[in-house]
Amino acid sequence: MKRKHLTSTEDLENEVDIPNAAQSEDDVESSMEASKKDNVVRPLKLSKGDLYKAPTVEELNQLKEAENLFHCSLLKMQMEELLKEVALSERRKKLLDSFVEEINDLLQSVPETPVVELTDVSWLEDSAIDVPFTMVPEVNGKFHMEPPASVDLIGSYPLGTCIKPRVTVDLAVTIPPNVLHPMDGINQRYPRKRALYLAGLAQHLASSPEVGPLHFSCLHGNRLRPVLLVTPSGKDSSVTLRIHAIPPPDFLKPSRFHPQKNNIRTDWFTGISSEQERTEPSTPHYNSTVLGDHLPRPHLQFLTAHSDQCPAFRDAVALLKVWLRQRELDQGTGCFGGFLAAMLMAYLLSTHKVGKTMNAYQLLRNALHFLASTDLTKSGITLAKNPDSKAPSLPEFHSAFQVVFVDPSGHLNMCADMTACTYKQIQYEASQSLQFWDDPTLDSFQALLMTPKPMIRTYDNVYQLSDMVKLQASCKKLSLLGSLMDHSGNYVLAVLPFILSLLQRGLGQRIRLLVHSLPKDPEWSVYSEPPKHKDQPPLSFGMLLNPEQCFSVLERGPPADSPEAAEFRQLWGSLSELRRFQDGAITEAVLWPGSSTCEKRKILLKIITHLLELHADIPNSSVLFVGGRVHEVIKLRKEIKSTGEEESLKVVQSFDDLSRKLWQLEGLPLSITSVQGAHPALRYTQVFPPEPAKLESSFFKKEKTLNALLPQDWKACPHYITPVKVICHMEGSGKWPNERLAIRHIKAAFHLRLGELLKQQHDYTCQATPAHLDVWKDGLLFRIQVAYHREPQVLREKVTPEGLLIVRDNPEAQALEVETQHKPFLTSTLHGLQQQHPCFGAVCRLAKRWLGAQLFMGEIGEDAVDLLVAFLFLQPAPFTPPSSLQVGLLRFLHLLSSFDWRINPLVVNLNGKLTASDCTEIKNHFIASRESLPVMFIATPNDHKASIWTKTGPSVPVLQRMVTVAAESLHVLEAQFAQPSQNHDIRVVFRPPLEAYDVLIHLKTKQVPLAAQAVDPSPITFPRGISKGEGGSLGGAFPVMDFDPVKLYLSELRDAFGDLALFFYDPFGGKVIAVLWKPKAFEQQPFKTSLMNGRKVEVVNEVATTAPNVEAIVEDFRIMGEGLVENVEPRTEKWVV
Amino acid sequence: MLPVCGGGIRREKMAPPGKQHASGACVIPGGFTVLSLKFRSSSSAQHQLCVKEHRVRAEKNSNRPLDRTLFVLNIPPYCSESVVKGMFSQFGPVQSVELSEKPGPKEAENTLSQYFKTAGRQCFKVGYIVFKEASSIAAAKSHPLNSPLLVSNSKKPVRVGLQKWIHEYTQSIVKQDALQEAVDEFMNQYDKTKEEEVERLQKEAEQQQEDEEGWVKVTKGGKGTKARPHSEVANQKTLQKEDKKKRRKELVNFYTWQRRDTQREHIAQLRKKFEEDKQRIALLRAQRKFRPY
Repeated sequence: MKRKHLTSTEDLENEVDIPNAAQSEDDVESSMEASKKDNVVRPLKLSKGDLYKAPTVEELNQLKEAENLFHCSLLKMQMEELLKEVALSERRKKLLDSFVEEINDLLQSVPETPVVELTDVSWLEDSAIDVPFTMVPEVNGKFHMEPPASVDLIGSYPLGTCIKPRVTVDLAVTIPPNVLHPMDGINQRYPRKRALYLAGLAQHLASSPEVGPLHFSCLHGNRLRPVLLVTPSGKDSSVTLRIHAIPPPDFLKPSRFHPQKNNIRTDWFTGISSEQERTEPSTPHYNSTVLGDHLPRPHLQFLTAHSDQCPAFRDAVALLKVWLRQRELDQGTGCFGGFLAAMLMAYLLSTHKVGKTMNAYQLLRNALHFLASTDLTKSGITLAKNPDSKAPSLPEFHSAFQVVFVDPSGHLNMCADMTACTYKQIQYEASQSLQFWDDPTLDSFQALLMTPKPMIRTYDNVYQLSDMVKLQASCKKLSLLGSLMDHSGNYVLAVLPFILSLLQRGLGQRIRLLVHSLPKDPEWSVYSEPPKHKDQPPLSFGMLLNPEQCFSVLERGPPADSPEAAEFRQLWGSLSELRRFQDGAITEAVLWPGSSTCEKRKILLKIITHLLELHADIPNSSVLFVGGRVHEVIKLRKEIKSTGEEESLKVVQSFDDLSRKLWQLEGLPLSITSVQGAHPALRYTQVFPPEPAKLESSFFKKEKTLNALLPQDWKACPHYITPVKVICHMEGSGKWPNERLAIRHIKAAFHLRLGELLKQQHDYTCQATPAHLDVWKDGLLFRIQVAYHREPQVLREKVTPEGLLIVRDNPEAQALEVETQHKPFLTSTLHGLQQQHPCFGAVCRLAKRWLGAQLFMGEIGEDAVDLLVAFLFLQPAPFTPPSSLQVGLLRFLHLLSSFDWRINPLVVNLNGKLTASDCTEIKNHFIASRESLPVMFIATPNDHKASIWTKTGPSVPVLQRMVTVAAESLHVLEAQFAQPSQNHDIRVVFRPPLEAYDVLIHLKTKQVPLAAQAVDPSPITFPRGISKGEGGSLGGAFPVMDFDPVKLYLSELRDAFGDLALFFYDPFGGKVIAVLWKPKAFEQQPFKTSLMNGRKVEVVNEVATTAPNVEAIVEDFRIMGEGLVENVEPRTEKWVV
Repeated sequence: MLPVCGGGIRREKMAPPGKQHASGACVIPGGFTVLSLKFRSSSSAQHQLCVKEHRVRAEKNSNRPLDRTLFVLNIPPYCSESVVKGMFSQFGPVQSVELSEKPGPKEAENTLSQYFKTAGRQCFKVGYIVFKEASSIAAAKSHPLNSPLLVSNSKKPVRVGLQKWIHEYTQSIVKQDALQEAVDEFMNQYDKTKEEEVERLQKEAEQQQEDEEGWVKVTKGGKGTKARPHSEVANQKTLQKEDKKKRRKELVNFYTWQRRDTQREHIAQLRKKFEEDKQRIALLRAQRKFRPY
């Protein structure tokens, strides 16, 4: 057989070639060897001389510092490397400098234009450049162009805290004093002149050949502060020059922009001149906008002074900026940008909260500590040393702004646009980061600085407010004219604080944190109009849930007669009603519908839509629950409103009952020491938990002598009854034989005896086999396996001919140990985890559903997947443990696609039993013996070295494929979640790409017992012998259990052709088996008696060689699956026989 | 890919891959004759069985007489021993058929009851077919390639697929009393052997005693049989204990040079860790692991 080289199959082929991965490892090593002189890589060997030579003082200091200041020297080096990555290269700096020089020269030659009215923009018409400002309502004034008074570099670039990517250099162009008028601060006259001046600059620059396409943007989303973005012409567009227009220093008096003063007149803004006198509302945000333009130069001087004092200042600010950027806090309206980061560091230095000699690491840590412990929404801070008498006081700032951080001049609040929610988010992130930092079992560097935290992957629930234009109505409803004036008509910003406080009040204890996306800075070409407010991207609200309370159906309010009751009624409107509770209290309360977990998940959405509709006139349809439809793929059936949590609970309860009855059995020769579940259904992680089945005995053939029901080949395959595995340990005793066969027989005797007793005492239908005892109880099948704790030991013992007793490990003993010891332990541990995190089970089920649907479930064990998901809950850093399905699934896919299995062990710290030293030991062992360990290495407290759950798979190529598919699925899902309004089909990521496979075996739906579970179930259903209502009495007959033809077929195929091909199947109702030939097996091999299976002989020049007999094998697929196989589709476009 | 023979001349499809005898039998280098096998007459594809007389230098197994045993390779998984017997009886009466996963001596026969036997893998197998007459071997070896053996025919259909699984499911239902019987029988047997063992030990112990005249019979076991067997674990434990004893007697941090050594060791440790970390960083840097975004 030869493969045709089609591009579509090539990538898969590469994956199947196992040495591929090894090769890349070699690459790494060889590059390492090149980087190191002594040519040793691993394990590390230092010559004795090197290791024991007398240390120099310098070296001693370095070693001591590494030991004392950092957890280990590794963190220090990691930070240094990170700084190297984000720092600007000298080449880039030179490029920038020369470009700035060019622009500077160009700006100096701006031609003068005649004086015109402000509203007259005809002088711009030639170049078709549009003014970056919406000029309504109109305002009087004169304007003309003139060359700038001065051009200065400001911001992060001259300060040296500029980092990659998105390098922007800020250039401040001072508007000459002649253009401005001392009263320009009022009614947006100054911002308009500023915008016109920028347009004039743009007109001039656009004509120059050195300049690439020009864009307007606005500073931190503030429409009053447009900026001009200039990129050099040519290919290198990775640098951007941001031109700000600023007034001449001391042009406007800062005291006129006191937060309590008004600078926008209501009459002018509304266009309605009212007769009566009224007090004008204060315009703090407008004031700080105008004021902010005056100060960039003094701020730069201030920061430079501080950074010159402290050598690590620049690095620390760069690290803090990386930290902020990973948390999406560094851009948009009300962000905590690089400027604030630098100011914060300067504040810490000036108040002696940090020392000048500290290193970047310590500065970052102290900054985070300060953020975590200081609430700027209540007690603001100021950088002003001796503010002049006219400067506002801190309480005055607090009354006008939500977050207060006053600049060195004492007049400007640098956090004017920040909402309290954003600051709380920063505080939360900072305190979380400090926790991760102090946790020695964690890679804090990864968690703090390397992992991005996009909103949909960080927050449990994300709701999106589409249709921004609807917020205009809310402004009216909430009568926010003053605020609207203050934000110069940006209704989104005006209404945001009110919506946030409304949600905070309504959701109360249900959430731990409420955050919102920061509206992004718009960017538009200089030739087009500035975007409208309604075109802003939708606003997202993220929340971290409080797992105990988030889905409670009852909102209990204050007693009916208390004064707070009115407030409660006002908040909830008609939904609030008087209720009497069991404790006798009569209180106001709101009751939400929700009988199952699935319904309860929607309560938050109901609360949000209700509140927003009631108080802000936002219609139901504009609030979208991001990823709220993920649960559909684990719904048991379409018609029922349950996603399986209730069914799992029923199985567990039935098991508890059985366990109690087993303990109480009388008449056993040895007593029972433990009854443990060893099945996913008993830890809530079975994708489709078994449901109690009521059987129709008429559907089956009845075997009289055996008293059992049997399937019939001309009918559809009967309903699949899942055996739920239970391990029952018997007490140790001298009566147990010391020989393996005898132990097996004794166990069989126990099965028989247990069955008899259960029949006698509880009238359960039982059937014993040598391996287990099946008990039919409440429509569920429990498979009890008796275990003897010494049996694995007995299996390992062997007596040599000399009479020496030796202990040798063997696979049989290991398998038994896994079955009777590790599995029950894992089940009970994960059951405990489910009690702590109510959505653990559902996330596991979703993860397994995804793996199953993508045909990987045959390669990776269920227990391993459960452990992977457990890892997400036990070591969520830098996130918090997921509390919703969608975030759980996204993080699972992210883990799968980003975890580097080659160099890292995955340590699942169940019950927190592993200490830091254990973790290091595991890591060291892993590094030392990487080659001999499974590709996917998972360590648990009970299993430091072997990774028992992933021993058999996945293999390297399958894992690689899994990683690729996971990355692709994550990408698709995140794109879907970003646009919830499009009503995407979540099932897209649950449909496997079948193009890559060589043969497809299509199965008859009739004979696939689990067909109803399929991602896309077929509309035709077959009777499978179960009835909805009361089933007919079985008369003590045993039902058809654990009979799945597909499973049997697969095991036969793998037995017969396992060395020639891989078989992939979705165990949850899949209708197709995908076969992939192993390329290695298809090479011509010399004839050997040990290598003849499924092959045919070919003789060339008296030499016999063999190759797989593909035709016969494909025919065998048909023969072996007779009755089950619909047809076999060899995809011969990929290979030829 | 057509099978190509000898001089590399292409033949028609289904042509034999080896040298053809007058009878049409196809023999390949290595002495094997290739036979073809079809599941049923309507099947289109064929498997190739390779057969040869069983010949090993020292066959200890009396069940495989050298002159009458045919060694068969590549028997498909759906052929049970009885099916193989049926197929090969066209060459002469078959005495017994033995299938196994790998060629080689047969594993020890176990006398377990059907419930306790472990099920074998359902893979391609090799077979040892013992004919009643030696002449059958030659008949089989000269069978032409182009008349394939049939696995299943209308008289004796072979169960495959769904029918087979339902049959197996029916077979797997265990009769409770039969199982109980099997267990009891085994345990009785086991108890008996245990008792015999005990008796034997007693006897040996008795032999160690002086008889009336004061003679002791000296046996091979040296100083009598030990009460418990030697075990590897016990041996290791004793060695460890001795090691510990030795170490306890040593003095550490007593002489100046010893203390100096500890300090030196500490610095060396730090250095080693530093170097290790450096190496790890270099590895990560090589993979561009420090790009934050």
